[in-house]
This record gives sequence, C-alpha cells and structure tokens, in this order.
Amino acid sequence: MALKTDAERFRKSMLLGAAGLRASKTVSWIVIAAGALVFLVPLYVMVVMAFKHPNEISTTSPWAWPKEFTSDNFREVLSTPNVDFRLLFKNSLFIAVMSTTGVLLSSAVVAYPFARLNFRGKDRLFILLLSTMMLPGIVTTIPTYLVFKYLHWVDTFYPLWVPAWLGGGAFNIFLLRQFFMAIPRELDEAAVLDGASNARIFWGIIMPNSGPALATVGIFAFIYNWRDFMGPLIYLNAPDKQTLEVGLNYFKGLNNLEWGKLMAASVLVMAPLVVMFILGQRYFVKGIVMTGGK
Amino acid sequence: MSFLRAPIWNLFLRVASLLCTLLAPILMTGCSSQESPHGKTVLYFSMWDGDESMRVIRKLVAQFEAENPDVEVRFVNIADYNSYHQKMMVMYAGNAAVDVAMEDPGHFQALANRGALLPLNQFYENDKTFNIGDYYKPIVDAHSLDGKLYVLPRDIAPAGILYYNKEMFKEAGIPFPDGNWTWDFTERPELREKDFLWVLHQLTKKDAEGKHIYAVTPSWEGNILNNFEYSYGNYWCDDPQHPTRVFSGSADWIKVGDFVRDMEKVKECAPGQQEVSNVLQSAAYQLFISKRTAMLLDGIWTVPQIRKNMKPTDKGFFDWDVTLFPSYVGKPRHMTTGGSGYAIFSSCKHPQEAWRLTKFMAGPVGMAAMARAGIAQPAIRKIALSPAWLPGPNSPLAEQYPQNRIATDQAVSAVIFEPTSEFWPDVSGKIGSKLDNFYNFIDPASTAFKEGADLGQQRLDQVRQQRSLPRFNWVLGGGLGFLIALGIVTLVYLPERNKRYTNRMKLESRSAYRFLAPWLIGLVGLTIGPMIVSILSSTTDWDMIRPAQWRGAGNFVEAATIDPVFWVSLKVTFIYTLVRVPLGIVFALILALLLNQRVRGVPLFRACYYIPSLVSAVASSLVWQKLFAPDGVINGFLYNPIVAKVFPIGQWLSKISETPGKNVNWLGSEHTALSSFILMSAWGVGGAMVILLAGLQGIPEYYYEAATVDGASPWSRFKAITVPLLTPAIFFTLVTGLIGAFQSFTEVYVVTSSGGGPNNATMLYMLNVFNAAFQNYRFGYAAALAWVLFFIILGFTLVQLRMSKWVYYESEGR
Repeated sequence: MALKTDAERFRKSMLLGAAGLRASKTVSWIVIAAGALVFLVPLYVMVVMAFKHPNEISTTSPWAWPKEFTSDNFREVLSTPNVDFRLLFKNSLFIAVMSTTGVLLSSAVVAYPFARLNFRGKDRLFILLLSTMMLPGIVTTIPTYLVFKYLHWVDTFYPLWVPAWLGGGAFNIFLLRQFFMAIPRELDEAAVLDGASNARIFWGIIMPNSGPALATVGIFAFIYNWRDFMGPLIYLNAPDKQTLEVGLNYFKGLNNLEWGKLMAASVLVMAPLVVMFILGQRYFVKGIVMTGGK
Repeated sequence: MSFLRAPIWNLFLRVASLLCTLLAPILMTGCSSQESPHGKTVLYFSMWDGDESMRVIRKLVAQFEAENPDVEVRFVNIADYNSYHQKMMVMYAGNAAVDVAMEDPGHFQALANRGALLPLNQFYENDKTFNIGDYYKPIVDAHSLDGKLYVLPRDIAPAGILYYNKEMFKEAGIPFPDGNWTWDFTERPELREKDFLWVLHQLTKKDAEGKHIYAVTPSWEGNILNNFEYSYGNYWCDDPQHPTRVFSGSADWIKVGDFVRDMEKVKECAPGQQEVSNVLQSAAYQLFISKRTAMLLDGIWTVPQIRKNMKPTDKGFFDWDVTLFPSYVGKPRHMTTGGSGYAIFSSCKHPQEAWRLTKFMAGPVGMAAMARAGIAQPAIRKIALSPAWLPGPNSPLAEQYPQNRIATDQAVSAVIFEPTSEFWPDVSGKIGSKLDNFYNFIDPASTAFKEGADLGQQRLDQVRQQRSLPRFNWVLGGGLGFLIALGIVTLVYLPERNKRYTNRMKLESRSAYRFLAPWLIGLVGLTIGPMIVSILSSTTDWDMIRPAQWRGAGNFVEAATIDPVFWVSLKVTFIYTLVRVPLGIVFALILALLLNQRVRGVPLFRACYYIPSLVSAVASSLVWQKLFAPDGVINGFLYNPIVAKVFPIGQWLSKISETPGKNVNWLGSEHTALSSFILMSAWGVGGAMVILLAGLQGIPEYYYEAATVDGASPWSRFKAITVPLLTPAIFFTLVTGLIGAFQSFTEVYVVTSSGGGPNNATMLYMLNVFNAAFQNYRFGYAAALAWVLFFIILGFTLVQLRMSKWVYYESEGR
C-alpha cells in the first residue's frame, strides 16, 4: 500500500509541477522581457540617433523615433579619409584575437595549480596574484611605457597582446581558479590512479569540463581588448595602426561633436561584439560533459 | 591531437619559441630611426582636431611635403582633447615625444616650465620671411612665458560672440545690434536698444505654443557668467601666469554673480545650467536653430555647424548674424576667449625642419585654409581681414552668413584668457566644486563664490610653496626596490621554511611551478618592476620630466593633512563601493537565475542584459543625463500624480535636495548625485550576471536529477545544490567587484566632466588620483594616493579571503 501511495503522490506532484512550471515560466518570461527593454535603452538611443539627420537630432528628443531614416551618417563615417574603417577593423580584430587566444590558454594554465595542486607559497602567491589588480593602472602607465619602449615595442601591436600570453591577467586566472575548484575531485581521481600527469588531467578533464567558464573568459577578453582605449592610445602612434575604439575619437572633436556620426561609428564598432557575445554564449549550455554520473 | 598529450611545459616552450621567432626581427631592428627609407627627415606631428579639421590638415600637410621634398610628416593623431594631453605627457616622459604638437594657452605652460618646449624666438628672429608682429598680440602674449614665445598661434577664438536671430529682433521691434551696447545692473528703458538688459527683457517671451523663449543662451554654463564678470572688470586672480591671489570671492564678483542669477532665475532671460545641459548634447546652438533662443553666446567656431544644420534653402531658415557681447557702461569691453597653436618639443632632432612645418601650418597658408573651411579664426590679422575669412559679395549664399564677421576682429582687442598658470586647473577645480551649487540655484553667489574663492586661495598657497628637496638618488632607489622585491619573496616563502615536504609533494610543487611559469615571467618582466617604481615614486616629488626629489613620507602626510578632497573622496568611495557591490551582486544573481531557465529566446535576452556593458561611455553618459534630468524619465515616473500619491518619494527627494516643490535634480544636487551613479551602475551588472550564469551552467544536471528522485522540493534543491555550488562564483564577483568599485571613476569622469561635483559629492578616490597625475603632473603624489588605495583594497580582500569559509568548493568537499 505504502508503495502505491508513494507512487501516486509522486505522479500528482509531477503533474502539479508541470502546470506550475508552465505558469511560472510565463511569468518569468514577462519579467525577463520587461527588464530587457529597460536594458536596451542605451542601445536604442544610439541606434536611433545614428539613423537621424543632424537637423532632426538637434530639434527632437533623443528618445524620439526618426521621422525619416537616413544612412548619411554611416556613409560619411565610412568614407572619411581620416578613419579607414576596414584597416582599423583589421587592427582591432588582430589584437583582440591574439589577446583572447593568449588569455584563454595561459590563464587556464596558471589557474590550474592554484585550483588543484599544492606548492610552496601557494596562499601568499595567490594574494600576490590578486594584488596585481589592486594598484590603479594610471600610476604604472609611464613605467610600463618605458619597459615597452626599452623593448622597442612602441608603435607596434606587441604591447597590446603579448602580455595576454603571460598569465592573461589576475581577473581571468582568479575566475578560472574558482571554476576549476568547483569541479569534483572524483573526476581526476581515476586519471591519477592511471598515472596521468598533471598536463593530462588539465587537458583531458579540467578543460573539457569548463566550457561555460572558458566561454566567459573568452568573451570578456575579446570585449576588453576590442574596447580597450588607453592601451592603443598610448602605445600606437601611426594613424594606420589605430584601433576602432581610438578611431571613434575623430568624431568627438572639441567644438564640433557630431552626434549622428559618432553614434553611427559607435554602432559599427559595437556590432561585432554583440555578434561575438551571442556566438560565445552558445557554449554556456554545454556545461559539464559528464564522464560518468555518480 | 598529439600536442594535447605532451607535457604542458613543452607546449609552452613551443609557444614561447614561436613567439620569439615572431618577435626577434623586431627586437633586432633596434631604435626606429628618424630617417625614412628615402633619406628624408621624418617629423612626427600631432593635434587634437576632429574629423572636419583633419580633412583640411591632411591636404595642408600634403602640400607642405610637396613644397619641402626633404621632409616627411607622420601624423600621431589622437583627436580627443583630454586624451591628447595625456598621451603627449606619457610620450614626453617616455622620451618619445613627437616633434611638432598642438598646444593651447591652458596647457603649454606646464611643458614650457619644464623645458619640454623650444622657445620659438630663436627661429623667427633669424627668419627674414617671418614677422611675429603680423599676429594678434593677445594670442602671442598668451602663448608666451617670461618673454619667450613657445606656441606659434594658429587661431584665436573670442567667446563673447552673440549670434542673433534677425527675425526675432524684427518681431520685437528692436533694431539689429551693432555691438555698441552696454549693460548695467538695472534696466535703462530710455536707452532702448543700446541697453542690453532692456533688449533681453524684450526678447524673453512665450511662443505661440506657450514654450518659453530665452533671450540669450550661453554655449556652456560658465560662459555667460564669465563674460559679465570680465566686462565688469573682474578677473579670477591677480596674474594669469603667476597667480598669487584668488579674486573670485570679492564683493564685485558676487555682485555680478547675483545679477546673472537674477537674470536667469527670476527674469528667465537666460537658461540656468540645468537647462543648458538639459539641451541635448549640451550644444546650445541647436536651441538657436530651433528658435528657442533669440541669441546664442558662443565663439565663432560654431558657424560651420549652424551653416550645415540650417541652409538658406531649408524650410526653417531665418536670417541671422553675429555681434559682440556688450561692455559694462563706462568701462572698456572685455570678453572670454580661447586659442591654440603649434609648439616644437625640445627633444626634436630636426628643429629647423620642425620650424618650417610649424611656420607653414600656423602661417598664412595653413591659416587661410582653416579659415576658408570656417574652422578657425586666423591668428594673423591680415588673413583675418582677407576674403579667406570675411565673406565677399561673390561668395556662395550659404557662406554669406554671418555677414558681420569683422566683429571677430574687433573682438580680439577685448579678449581675456583664463589663467594659464599650470597650477590653475587644480585651483580652479577647488573653486568650481562650490560653483556647482550656484549654477544649480542652490547656494546664492555670496556663499558659493566666497567659499569657492577661499578654497581656491588655500589651494593656491599650498601649490605655490616652493619646497627645496634633495634629489632622489636612483641608485639608492634601485637598491630599495631590490629590497622590496626581496621582501616580497621573503613574505611569500618565509612562513614555509619549517614545513617538511615529502618527495611526492616536492614533485607536485615542481610541476605546479611549470604551470605558473607564464604568469611568473609576466610578473617579473612586466608587472612588478613598474609597481616597484611607482612605490618608490610615492616618496618623491616627481613630474616624470624633471629629476625626482626625495620627499620621504611627505606625500602621505600631505594627503592626510593638506589635500582638501582626500578624506571626502575616501568617504564617497566607501559609500559608493559598499552600497554598489552588494546591490549589484544581488541584482546580478536574480538576473542570472531568471536567465538560466529554459524559456523562449533566452540567448537573445542574455545579450540584451549584457549590451549596456558594451555601449560606449559617451553614448551611455548622454542617456544617463537624459534619464536623470529634472524633467527626465525617472522623475516623470516619480512625480506622476498617481505614483506621487501612493509613494511620495519624489516629494521627499525634493525636500532632502533642498528644492522643495521642484523636481529633484538628480545629478545637480549633492544629496542625490552619488545615488544616481549607484543607480546607473545597475545597467552595468551584465558582467557579473554572465559569470554567475556560467557558474549556474557549471552545476552538473545529475545533482538535480538525483535530488528530484529523492523527492526534494524546488526550494530545497535551490538551497542545497544551487546556492552552495554557486558560492565560488559569488565569491569571485564579490572580491573582484570590490576591487573594481574602489577604482571606478569613468562614469563620473564623463558625466561630471571630471569635476566630481556638485560640491565633491561624487568625488571618487580615483578622480583625485587621476587629476593629480594628468592634470597637475604630480606623479609622485598620485602614486602615493594610489598606494593608499592599494592597501585599503588589500585589507578588504584579505578579510574576505579570511572569511571565505562560506564558499563551498566541490573539489575540496567542504
């Protein structure tokens, strides 16, 4: 009898659960969609202004829908002799791809021992790692510039991507360390018994089980480097070596801020990032690939 | 993939050797030479011009190169006024300055004082083709220091030019102004159009739709006040180049201040700061074009925009012209101005060629080209009187406006530059911190000006103090740096000296270090060195140009006892951080949980929530200003009659911001400004949300399955599985969020135009560090401030690490 009641209770709860689930899903969809609208306000203003005539920008509120769509802003931005968008795009892409690759590889490698191994000075080295994030960058700008100048790397792309291969930054190392530590030990134990080296555990177990975390680090690194302003500003001199983010500055003249052009250019600079984000987060759902549920 | 199986160290060796092969050619080429492959002299040339003027400059440089076949000009273009000066500073300090660079009266002194610029007298005195007397004297004087000219003027830009709508004057029955008008503290109706106040009074009205029309609108908030002050004979200080006394608290200043306030607030002839910045993009000329103001107070540089946005063929076109700001009755005319020119850095190896370029760009040819494009008023009088600048009867209709361009020539004799002393930005920041409350109609002129001037004077006295300090000994400094490095190593390894390691542990440790290698290389090679240099420089007085001077703990003592904003900025930063971070994490967590569900369109929604983190700072700051404006969306909600009845938050906010009965001015009131920035940060939670989302996705599905089979309710599953397994990610967002929040300042920098106002209410700690470094060129002091912040953040982080028992790490099973 007891068995039957249990089974019945189970079925009932499943049925109720399904209905409740559907209702709660609808509610949360509405909440999510409403919130998303609020979060899209800055983008809306950007895009709308990019498609307005300067006259209209000056006479209407920034919230207003364009009375008449124009692509003049985009055409002018893409045709100015000062900003070769194709070239700048190539520069930005090169820096962002090189950095992202470096960050993904090296931050994972460095995070591994912090998450999994015991070594001399581990705790204090970890604090040292975190402390590199705590000093405001502007006071190390000039000494760092001198280091790269000594290496003859000024006005090259090296200062912008080589450091990414050397650990990839404390933020990313710390992030991956947190995620690696959340991976159950049982997964490596079998491999350890088989006599696998740390390199094998790292590549064969930790990395494949860290899809969402690696996707996060990759997205962040790409966006950070694409949007970086101070680095390219300081290290790149020649106009044909500039990145898009610095190129945007041409539309921020001291006395002649032209919002239509600035917004059109900003939309062009930002669009690849949105695409990149949507692509990158597909890896979010491919969470832990279980090698055997317990 | 075979390399996957290779030991990690080998992989890295491979990558490293690949990198070396890539980099070796660069390393061996050595210093980039100043000679181009064709044997030409290469000159590096930089300016802050935007798109429009760069088009002209490009053509000019091509022409220069054609005329000077031995020289090749390479641009180093930055195009944004603020970052321009930063970059010039870094390049000069790094001994890599450009050869010819744009400068202006407000910036060249800091460089000239340090010997970074070549005096130009040596060139023009021997140059028979050149006569400095051709240039307007005020701009030459403004670019000179102690009898030497450092910047060859390219343009002068008087900012007391009144653009006026002829139709509105006709409608009001007022003859067009000829510039010979005056102002007095009381209206003189008997003088009619010769009395500025009477004219303002006549022009202020409501249009057919009941919208208020202002008589005059300044293009930026300070311009109307400054023009009235200057024309009354008031000036900021006793000497623009070597100030010793601040005058802006005098009875005369206050008298004019009260007058301007009455004109704006009571008579409503001109908009207050609120309305000025409330106009979209704070470009007031748009109010002029849309006929919301009869006159626009601006510089002549706005002409191209007005022409472009209001062509004679356009429907809304009206006849317009320019005239001069009135003088005070019985006193000579005075008005504000700007200007700029080209300077040669003293590190330039080819000064003669650089002079040729300078002379070309800031000479008749360059000036005429810029003038023809309507971009800059020539600094050479002859060009300013030529058809290049003054429209002739044969020029196209669009270029006929404004006809009275000769006014710009008359204006030059009346111009007064803002103080150009390198100390002034610092002093002016202190004065300005109190002026916000005047501009926002909160404090009367008597309090705001007096308090501001007192603060400014106090600051000026501090910065003028000449300290004679011993030179910093870099050999000893290097030794000290080595000791610091040694100290760090000791701190890391000393606590383990007694720990016994078995062979297996040694093996594991060695293997770990192989993994750590890339980071350790970067740490030693790139990170630690500059950090140690900055800690050494925190004990010095150092502008990165002149030799550093040893100050011991002086910088730290100065911060704690003298710096007027140090304690305020600490308080503001603590409140900001301690409120923003927890709220942000809770908010991000809720979002992450919502977006972790399998509902329709989730990938797109995730992108939506992350997008605000991608929008450029200028675009979002515009949105914030509109959202938080007194008549913006947020107030529209709070002061909606229904909402106001149920939740009288609006009333309460108006009361605490000392403007009862009026909509709260979020960014303008010192009581709400910081809260506004905390609210804004809500749009930036996308990053934390993504991390938490990744954390949620990383929780193995079978845990939930197992728990469900065991009959656990959704809530208990959440409590027993989701929360503990998410703690590592939450801990991460907490630690890095705190580190980031303590150092944040970009939003405030952009929205408050670096001021941290009103009344220092948003003076985040990093603004002070930034200003110390790049506004006041006090890198030693900035380093000291930065290291104080470093230890504060370190303290917070250590406490968090100590208290991290609540974090559950699956791999440790606790």
